[in-house]
Parts: sequence; C-alpha cells; structure tokens
Amino acid sequence: MSANLDVAAANAPGSNLGIAIRRGLTDGAGVVAILYIILFALYALWDPSALTVSGVTNLSNNAAPLAIAAAGESLVVISKGFDLSVAGIVSLSNVLMATYPVEGPGGALVSLMICLGVGGAIGALNGLLVAVLRLQSIAATLGTMIMGQGLALVIMDAPGGTIADWVSYTLTDVLFGIIPISGLIMLAVVALWLVFRRTDTCMGIFAVGADETAASLSGISVVRARFTAFVGAGLLYGLAGFMLSVQTATGNPSAGTPFLMLAFAAVALGGVSLTGGRGSLVGAVIGAATLMLLQKVLFSGGVSSFYTGIFQGAVMVLAIVFGSVISRLASTGARA
Amino acid sequence: MTSARPSAALQPPADTRRIGRIRSETISTAAIFALAIILILASRFVSPALGSWDQVDTIITLASFLIVVAFGQGLVILVGGLDLSIASMITLGGVLATTWNSSFGSEWVVIPAVLILCACIGALNAVGVIWLSIPPFIMTMAMGIIVASAALGYTSGTPRGASPEAFLALMKGSVGPVSAVLIFVVIFALLARALQSATAFGRRLYAVGANREAARIAGVATWRPIMAAYAISAVCAGFAGMMLVGYANGATLRMGDSYLLPSIASVVIGGSSILGGRGSFAATVGGAILLTTLGTVISALGMDQGWRTVIEGAIIVGALLLLREDLIARLRNRSAG
Amino acid sequence: MTTLRKLLTTTCVAAGALASAFTIGMGSASADEPKKFKIFLSLSYSGNAWQSEAANIVKALAQTPPYDQMVELKEVISGTDPQGQIAAYESMIDAKADGVISFPISSTALNRTVKNGCEKGVLFFMYDATVTEPCAYNVSYITAGFGENTAQALVNALDGKGKIFLSRGVPGNSVDKRHTDGAMHIFKKYPGIQVVAEYYSFWDDRTTQQETAKALAAHPDVDGIWAQAGEFGAIQALRDKGTRLVPMTGENSNGFRLALADPEAQKNGLKGVSAGSPPATAGYAFKLMMEILTKKRDLKAMNIQYPLPWVPADKVTLCKGDTFEDGCNAFPDGKVPSSFVTEVFSPEFLPELSLKSALDGAPTPGKTIQPLPAEVVKAPNEPGINCQKCDPPADLYKLTKIEPTVKP
Repeated sequence: MSANLDVAAANAPGSNLGIAIRRGLTDGAGVVAILYIILFALYALWDPSALTVSGVTNLSNNAAPLAIAAAGESLVVISKGFDLSVAGIVSLSNVLMATYPVEGPGGALVSLMICLGVGGAIGALNGLLVAVLRLQSIAATLGTMIMGQGLALVIMDAPGGTIADWVSYTLTDVLFGIIPISGLIMLAVVALWLVFRRTDTCMGIFAVGADETAASLSGISVVRARFTAFVGAGLLYGLAGFMLSVQTATGNPSAGTPFLMLAFAAVALGGVSLTGGRGSLVGAVIGAATLMLLQKVLFSGGVSSFYTGIFQGAVMVLAIVFGSVISRLASTGARA
Repeated sequence: MTSARPSAALQPPADTRRIGRIRSETISTAAIFALAIILILASRFVSPALGSWDQVDTIITLASFLIVVAFGQGLVILVGGLDLSIASMITLGGVLATTWNSSFGSEWVVIPAVLILCACIGALNAVGVIWLSIPPFIMTMAMGIIVASAALGYTSGTPRGASPEAFLALMKGSVGPVSAVLIFVVIFALLARALQSATAFGRRLYAVGANREAARIAGVATWRPIMAAYAISAVCAGFAGMMLVGYANGATLRMGDSYLLPSIASVVIGGSSILGGRGSFAATVGGAILLTTLGTVISALGMDQGWRTVIEGAIIVGALLLLREDLIARLRNRSAG
Repeated sequence: MTTLRKLLTTTCVAAGALASAFTIGMGSASADEPKKFKIFLSLSYSGNAWQSEAANIVKALAQTPPYDQMVELKEVISGTDPQGQIAAYESMIDAKADGVISFPISSTALNRTVKNGCEKGVLFFMYDATVTEPCAYNVSYITAGFGENTAQALVNALDGKGKIFLSRGVPGNSVDKRHTDGAMHIFKKYPGIQVVAEYYSFWDDRTTQQETAKALAAHPDVDGIWAQAGEFGAIQALRDKGTRLVPMTGENSNGFRLALADPEAQKNGLKGVSAGSPPATAGYAFKLMMEILTKKRDLKAMNIQYPLPWVPADKVTLCKGDTFEDGCNAFPDGKVPSSFVTEVFSPEFLPELSLKSALDGAPTPGKTIQPLPAEVVKAPNEPGINCQKCDPPADLYKLTKIEPTVKP
C-alpha cells in the first residue's frame, strides 16, 4: 500500500520540490528559517527602516558574532557534548585583538590568525580532555572556560585597548553598496559547513553523537570525531571573537560571558538536538540571528521595561512549539 | 589454561554489578571529599589561620545553599533534563518570602505557600518538556527569564520586607557549639540521598533517566517521576532562596544568578552523567563542598584576579582528571582483589 | 500540493496570530496630541537596588508636571550583553528618539552607535557609568574621587597602620578599577597599611557577606575594611562571627548608615565614612537633558561631575519624613530595606522627589519641576572612563573631602 503511494508521490509533478521542502522543514534549520522570516516581516511592518541597507547591515553586524559562536557550539552538540569554553575563547580573542592591534588588511589577517590560533589551541585542549581522557565535556569545558576567562583578565584588567581602524570600519561596512561584509562572513561559514557536511569526518561526528557504541563498532574513530568537533568549534569561537571585536571596536575581558547561555539557546532554537546526532549548523546560525532579531522586534512592537523579558521567554517557547507543529505537519504530509 | 571445571562453565557468571556500583559510588564520593580536605589543608600554606575548623564551618555555611540547589538540579539531570530556571526560582522564593512575610502575617503560612507556588512553576516546566516536547534547555531558560522579569515588575525593583524568623534562626543560630546550618546540611544530605538512591521513587528516576523507552515499557508512568523531579528542583531552589534571605536578612532580585552554573558543576563534578541515569547525591554534596572550598582558597591567594581565575580553572580540570571514571574503576578493581 | 497548501495556510495563520497579539499589546497613538519629546531610558543591568532606584527616579521626574505633558518615556532593559544595548540604541535612533538617558554597559563598545545617533540629532546622556565617545554627555561621580578619599578616611581611622580588606566590585570593570586604583594610590603611601585580602563582591550585599566571611576565615584579626557597594554585607559577616566590628568605609546603603550611627556598633569598634555612588545622578542627568531639549539651557556635549556624597559616622541623621530635609541622610530601620541605596535625594538638584519616587517611580503630588542651578561642574579627563585620546590631570588622585591626619 505504502509502496504504491510512494511511487505515486514520486511520479507526481513538482514532487521533488515538495520532498525537498518537506525535508527542509523536518530539519530544524528550515523551521527556524520560517520563524526568522515571520519575525523579520513583523519587524519591517513596525519599523520600515528595517528594509534599508543600514538596517540590514546593523542586523547582520549584530548577529554575526553570536551566529558564528553558535555554529561552533553546534558542532560539539551534534557530537553529543557541551562546550562551555565559548565564553573564554571569545573573551580571549577579543582582548588579544584589542591589546595588539595591527593596522591594515594584512594586519586584519594577522589578527584573524591569532584569534583562530587561540581558539584552535583551546579547542585542541578540550579535545584532549574529552575525547582522549574521557572527561565529561560539560565539566572539562567549564574548567577551560574559567581558565580562558582568567587569561583574558590577565591580559586586560579593564575594558579598553584599541581595535585597528581597518578592522572596525571596513568589516562593518557593505560591499557593492548593499551586501554587509559580516553577512558574507556568516555565509562563508555556512558554505564551509555545506562542504564539510559531505566528508567522512563529519559523518563520523553525527554517528558518534547519535550512538557512540554503534559508531565505534562500525569502525569510526570516536576519538578523532570528537577531537575534530572540539577543534572546529574552537576555531569558530575564535572567529566569533574576531567579529565581536569588529563590531564593538573595543576590548573587554568579560566580552564572552553573555555568549554562554545565548549560544546554547541559539543551537536549541535552531533545531539541533541537545542529545546529539541530529541538526544542522545552519540551524544554529539562523537560531542566533533569530535571538538577536527578537530584541529588535519586541522594541519596534512597543514592548518595554520588564515585559521584554516575559515576551522573550514566551516567544522562545512558542517558537519551539510552532517549529514542532510545522515539523509534524510536514512529516504527516509525507504520508498523505 | 583451559583446565576449567565443567561445572563452572555451566553456571551463569555471578552478577557482581550491584556490588560494583555501590563500591564505585563510595570510592568516588570518598575521593571528592578527600580532594576537598586536601585543599583545606593545603590552604594553610596560604594563610596560617586557614586549615582550621573555623574555615570548615564557613565553607559548609556558604556551601549549604549550593547543596540544597544541587539536589534539585541533580534530580532533573538524573531524568535526562536540565533546570536553568533555578536562578530565578531562588530569587522568587527569597523575594516572596520577604514581601509576603510583611503583608500576610504568619510566616508558617507564607513559607509553605511560596514553596507550593515554586512547585507549580516547576511542574509547568515539566508540562512543557513532556507534553509540548520543548527541549528542557529552552523550556527552563524561558521560564527563568519570565519569572525573573515578573519578579522585577512585581517589586518595582526593590524587594521589601524582612526575612522570616525561621530562616534567620536557621542561618544565624547554633545548637551548642555547632552552627544550626551544619546540622541542617547533614540532615538534608542524608534524607536527600536516601530519597534519591534508596526509595522506589528514586529508582524510578534512575530508570527513566537511563532509558525512558525501556522504563515506559516496564510500566513506569514516565511523566510522574519527571514532573516530580522538576517540581522538587523548583522547591529546593525556592527554599535555598529563603536560606539566602535568612543569611543576609534581605532579598535582592539577582541573588540566584551565581548559583546556576555551580549547581550544574557540582552535579557533574560529583560524577553524575549530564545525560541522565547515573549519579549519586553524596558525590554531588562532595562536588558542592569541593567547589566552595576551591572558591574560598582561591580568594585567599594574594595575586591578581586573572591569575586566580586561571588557577581555579586549572584545579577544576585537575580534580576532574583525578576523579576520572577509569581511575576509580581501576581503584575498585584493585580493591576487589 | 495539498500538503504544501496546508503548510502555507498554517504559517500564515500563525503569523497573523502573532501579529495581532502584538498589535493588541501596542496602543495606538492619538492623532491630535501636542508633540511630545520621545525619551528612552536604556538600562543594561537590572534587578539591583541601585539600578531600580535610579530608573524609578527618572520615571518619577518624567511624570512630574510639566514634564508629564511633554515627555513620552519608555524604559528598555537590554541585559548585560553589550550587543543587546547596541541593538537597543540602534532601535531608539531608528525610532527618532529625541533623547536617550542610559546606564551604559560598556565604556567603549557603544561608542560607534552613540556617534551615529549624535549625528542624527539624538541627545545621549549617560548617568553614573560613562562612555568615552565625545559626543555623549557623561554625568557621573566617578571622577570625584571615591576611592582615594575613602581610603584616606580609613587610614586616618587606623592611624596609618593595620591589616585591611579590599572589597571590590566586578572584575574587569573600569569603575571598579578607577576606585581601586585611587584607593591603592593612598594605601601605598603608608607602609603600615597591609592589604591582606582583596576580593570581588560584585557590588552586592550578599556576595560581600560571603566573600568577607571567607576572608575572615583566613584573617580573623583584620583591622579595617575598604568597601565598594555592598558594604553592609561586610558588617553582617563581622556580626556573624562575633560582636567585634572594625573601622570601615563604604558606599551608601541604608543599613551601613544606620550601623554607623548606632551607638552599640560604635562601641564595638565601627567608625568610618559613607560615600559612594548616588542614584540621584540619574535624575540630575534627566533634568539637564530636558533643559537642553526645552531650550532652557545651552550646553554642548561634555563630562559633568556629580558631587561625591560624604557622610562620616557623626553626621548620619535619620529622616523623619519621606524626603531629605534638615540635612538628614538616612531612613529609620524598617522603612526601607538595608540594601536600599540612600543617596536618592538632593535638595539642591532634585527637590521634586520623595521616597515613593525611588521605590515605585511615582511622582510626588503637588511638586513641579524646578530649574537646576546654572553652573555645572566639569569632570576631569580620565582616559578609558570618559575620554579616549586624552591625558589625565597630574593631580588625578587629589583629596577633596578629607585631609590626612597621619603622615605617610
């Protein structure tokens, strides 16, 4: 019976698109993308400046650091882990950039290398502790987060420093007059993911997250998969710290602290399962963008004072419910 | 080599799992407390007044809030969830206990009323997690944000009123030479551990946490233990808030914030799995005391805050390395002969 | 295809529901009101007494005639994430705000957005915390020397020698650093003064109590405590241990002032000074901003210094009513919580306020807005606090409230 239906569905005109859409919707990224579009529509409705180039650029600049940090976090979460060190690595990259500013585009590249280096190093330490020495990821990364925050405080004991002008002016600007550069950088991360998604290593990360025993029995190196996830995450946190420096144009030893809760919220909102094995980095990026957009939507909707918090909590819950409703409709639709 | 007696091959291997599990729980709990004691003794190098009974008393008083909160958090983690709303529940418990205490008369009415309210909010978390399939992270985080904002609006920013007498007595009083808090902590720890590890209710929590499907098939109505866990977590947080109010004789709206991450850390350092199904409260108490001891010793170090923080993180990683599962298992195997 | 249609319908219905829910929450502006000034009160931290009292003061003033007819005030809380406040400022600029009165979370991260807003004609007034962007008005006591003056007072009380605790604020914060640097500048002059414990109390009573308790466990023989906000917690920690109290300087919580004036506490060794950050700064900044907007004052962007409160133990006087009158500066026990920050009044700058203003944000019946004194005090340059590429004056840590009674 179902076989006939499948054949019938496969032969129906437009079915490929339908299947693709359905798959997109049952994948968390698709759902949160719809949510973002709805929120953006509301925002544009109440604040027409949302549709201007500067409005979009502001949104993009604001979202970029968290989006990239959430992208890194999603790698670890997919491998069934928790990475708290995002707060430490972001703070550390930020204060390093502010303490050692290097001018010009070449200088920006040097600063970027420093941030990536720091992130990769701490990511490798996390990988060592969790993948090789088998500590619980949440506890080990708590330790490395605290160490990272301490190092940031050692390097800079109060907000200050300077970020190179080229970094803070050019990278918050637009290309060809309409495309925000921070948006291009986010797209680059997504593009890297779509390439990485097809590699065996990435499959390994998903497999390890879904069922570690089965994965190891199928010959996947659990240690290598987890280690790669942590290093990749660390690199992305370094990049996030770089983008944060770009936007705030200043150094702050506690710069990374707000990222901790927000990164996980973005990951969960983006449909990445916190028990591992399912989800997409793209979902985490859109989830982060949604969280940052939410503040603006609430403001333009006239919500103020302590009601902002109440609405934020309510919207988060409603967003997830909405997402699972859509998901369920899409998957029952497949059987219709 | 293969001189096995025929009868041995026919007998099923003896099930030593339960014995093994108790042993490793005891060993890891003992290891955590040992680490805490070593830290206390080592702090004598930092200052001669440390390493004393006075310091231990201070540590246990300061750890008492964390111990109560970590119990609730531990139960929720045990069933495979996470409770991020405890910070706001601590605040709510404290704020309502002081504000209603002044307006509604007897504190013996106010205190249970507030705790019941906390339980209801915890149950709401469970409703979202179980029936709306909202990930616990988001559900409890959203609830926390909502409760904190509501408290801000309700008090216009300045919680008024004084602490209930009962909690003042608990936190400031003493029974003979021993502070009341110490006695409370010991009694609470024993009762809580018994509830978690030695009752049918506790066993159901472990079952649901280890494998929810299997528990359901085995006939456990899985929503009941889960809802109970979230409700107890909220009540513990509210109670801890009242304890804080007794300690400081007043409530503030952010007083729960600094207990969220440490509550999770205590549970995890105590060896419980963040994914549920395993853990022991005795070890969690050890984790809470270890963290508080570490904080006390660190703040006595006479160096820049940055380096102090780095050392704190390094000691946490070091403690985790020492408390590793396989090390504990090796110890257990060696002790089993 | 049917599925797709179903999905699209559900999406549209959901979107419509959300939109209507929000629109119901919004009020619709009436068309024929006189144009009001659009003012946004932008908070970052929330939920502590100081922040709430400062915000309530601004709200009370905005409802006091004639401002109640002239001002549309909206409070926006963005949390401790600088990007949240950046986004909030951007939204306020887009909403064509006339003025933004704010407690900025960072002295530097918001600069670009503030500059953008200034160029679009928005007035930015920062109270207590400051930004280094030149086009913003900073109204703060930070430059008035809390750290160094209270340190000297403590040294005087200890006769130049003793073991002291330093109870600081939030690590990595420029205000904490300024206060502590000022205090250490004084302490270093006296070799007899030994800082035996330095801890971070996050400007919170309870954390101060806990951290002081830990420090007391290590150094029970402390002679004095220099504290930033949260100082009453230190007294509680001392009382938890016994009856002995020590000379202390701190900020201006009601509990601390009551303790300073309490004969029992004085007998047990408490003496000192209550100074610290006044929430009244917010009211002063708001009134300044409104005077500029209503063209009653012409003031270009500058850094303005708010006077440092200074109440030694013998000057603590209990207020009989709901305002500061006859030189009173503290409230009776039970009228306000011990964590209530008392410096919410200023008979000179803010005669329109009463206790309800600070507690609930309510205007005082019968009062109208009074003009501010014409003179404003310019704040000295302090790099990293209120200016970027500038040099501090040579006498940055000069003592203004007290003279040393002990030779270094």
